[in-house]
Amino acid sequence: MKKNNGKLYTIIALIVLAILVYFAEKNLDAYNLRILNLGAIYVTLGVSLNLIFGFTGQFSLGHAGFMAVGAYVTALLVLPPWYKEMIYILEPLVWPFTVMHTPFIVALFLSGVFAAIAALLIGLPVLRLKGDYLGIATLGFAEIIRIIANNIPQITNGALGIKGIPEFTNLWWTIGVAVVTIYIIKGLINSSYGRALMAIRENEIAAEVIGVNLTYHKVMSFTISAFFAGVAGGLFACLLTTIDPKAFMFIMTFNILIVVVLGGIGSITGTVIAAFLFNISLEYLRPIEAGFNIGPIVIPAIPGLRMVTFAALLLIVILYKQNGLMGGIEFSWNGVSRFFQRLFSNNKSSEGGAI
Amino acid sequence: MELLNVDNITMQFGGLTAVSNFKLKITPGELIGLIGPNGAGKTTIFNMITGIYTPTINKIFFQDQDITGIKPDKIAKVGIARTFQNIRLLDNLSVIDNVMIGFHLHLKSNLTSAILKFPNYVREEESIYHKSMELLEKVELEKFKKEKAGSLPYGQQRKLEIVRALATGPKLLLLDEPAAGMNPQETKDLMSFIQKIQDDFNLTILLIEHDMKVVMGICQRILVLDYGITIAEGNPVAIQNNPEVIKAYLGVDANYA
Repeated sequence: MKKNNGKLYTIIALIVLAILVYFAEKNLDAYNLRILNLGAIYVTLGVSLNLIFGFTGQFSLGHAGFMAVGAYVTALLVLPPWYKEMIYILEPLVWPFTVMHTPFIVALFLSGVFAAIAALLIGLPVLRLKGDYLGIATLGFAEIIRIIANNIPQITNGALGIKGIPEFTNLWWTIGVAVVTIYIIKGLINSSYGRALMAIRENEIAAEVIGVNLTYHKVMSFTISAFFAGVAGGLFACLLTTIDPKAFMFIMTFNILIVVVLGGIGSITGTVIAAFLFNISLEYLRPIEAGFNIGPIVIPAIPGLRMVTFAALLLIVILYKQNGLMGGIEFSWNGVSRFFQRLFSNNKSSEGGAI
Repeated sequence: MELLNVDNITMQFGGLTAVSNFKLKITPGELIGLIGPNGAGKTTIFNMITGIYTPTINKIFFQDQDITGIKPDKIAKVGIARTFQNIRLLDNLSVIDNVMIGFHLHLKSNLTSAILKFPNYVREEESIYHKSMELLEKVELEKFKKEKAGSLPYGQQRKLEIVRALATGPKLLLLDEPAAGMNPQETKDLMSFIQKIQDDFNLTILLIEHDMKVVMGICQRILVLDYGITIAEGNPVAIQNNPEVIKAYLGVDANYA
């Protein structure tokens, strides 16, 4: 198949996606829309984590921290000044935030920028570490962000959080941001820069001896990853309409990590599928927390049993299917056409023809 | 003017002196062998020249420029490339990607044009793709271009690693045991390959090798290292008859042998 055809199919697929979003927005109830929105936000989060973890090979657990930065920036920027004055009851809001008021899209962009700046500051010293040590350091960073958010009521309203954020987020925004994220990150990975990132993942010393500047590429990947995490945080704030530091605990990062590992480390397609699967099944597994019977065995109501199910699922994936759902394979129009050709030739061969 | 001037360097790891007072001057166009028993400090010298280690004492100069303690990627930039004793390929990437990454130093496109695939970026990629294919053809690996590098047989992996080093456009090439694990025929091919690339690319080569046939066959000058100390230096014939060298390798006094 020619490359141009692929481009055409992508455009058609995007139009179909837009039509689906249009009908979903019109016909689905708030509950199902919320699930789809969360799924799309997790796509953005998962794909961005995959950039630093799956493609650059740097084990970062700081995503909840970058999300938090993004969420607070968006909340502070989209709320009207008079409202902010009203809700900051612990300590009055400090100056620049009292007067700032921007449209949603500007707020989202600035959320990304602030998260990226945070990543730049934390990344320069921390990305010298490797493996588990890097994981612990970035996890520590995310916790620090959360604790800071808890303790500077002048900006974050402390543990009370910020309530009444306008509900700007809808499927157009979440799917739109997800599509842009995939486009940019896929473009990065399939470029010479992406090749350098994967070289770092494969063999750091070899990459360095070839001439790849490790610090520059790691920090670049980390910063871009954080940018999209920040934007996702902004979407998250305007979806839930209320944020407080507790929303960005480690469990948030863990959820994103589940999505990436389930989908396949280093597979964007896998991440997209896993993000929706995760959010949909998280909701539809709700009944098991109410308690149920397996024959004579009575399982009592245990809150949090859903997460146990996911932990078990994660274990199974790690034990038996290390490469995740997609196993590092990416969706491509060529792949689809090969798949159909194979189906077709299989039918033929069952009639006695040679393959 | 010498290309590389290693000026009396010493490398200590805590109390252990891995290399002491190592001196080496290489003029352009030479093919020099570095031999010695296991643990003599040969690879440590490579690691110091390529910036992975910084010598504890004294300095290394490349074309009169002090390169002591600068990072490996900067050293690649001045024109030193190397291969590794335990092959370090990008195992999960394709063979062609493994060569294309070698051209990393020569890329000029910025991040934006790379992500959005601007025409200047696409042209640049096409040009390094063709250059990579030419290099692969030299080692007859072009038919494996889409295979994962890690799935190639051992001998092919060694060749691929040399090709990747060539892609960086080096002036000095350091080969760490290129013939390890090769059969006699492959070794013979490798010897002519090394001589060929030296001519084709105008290279100066420093190589570590245990296979004496390779070292004696192609090197003009040989250095023998034992316990971090240079015990002999000279042409292949002189080295073969040097009693110190025989002692280091066979562990007995030459007179008894």
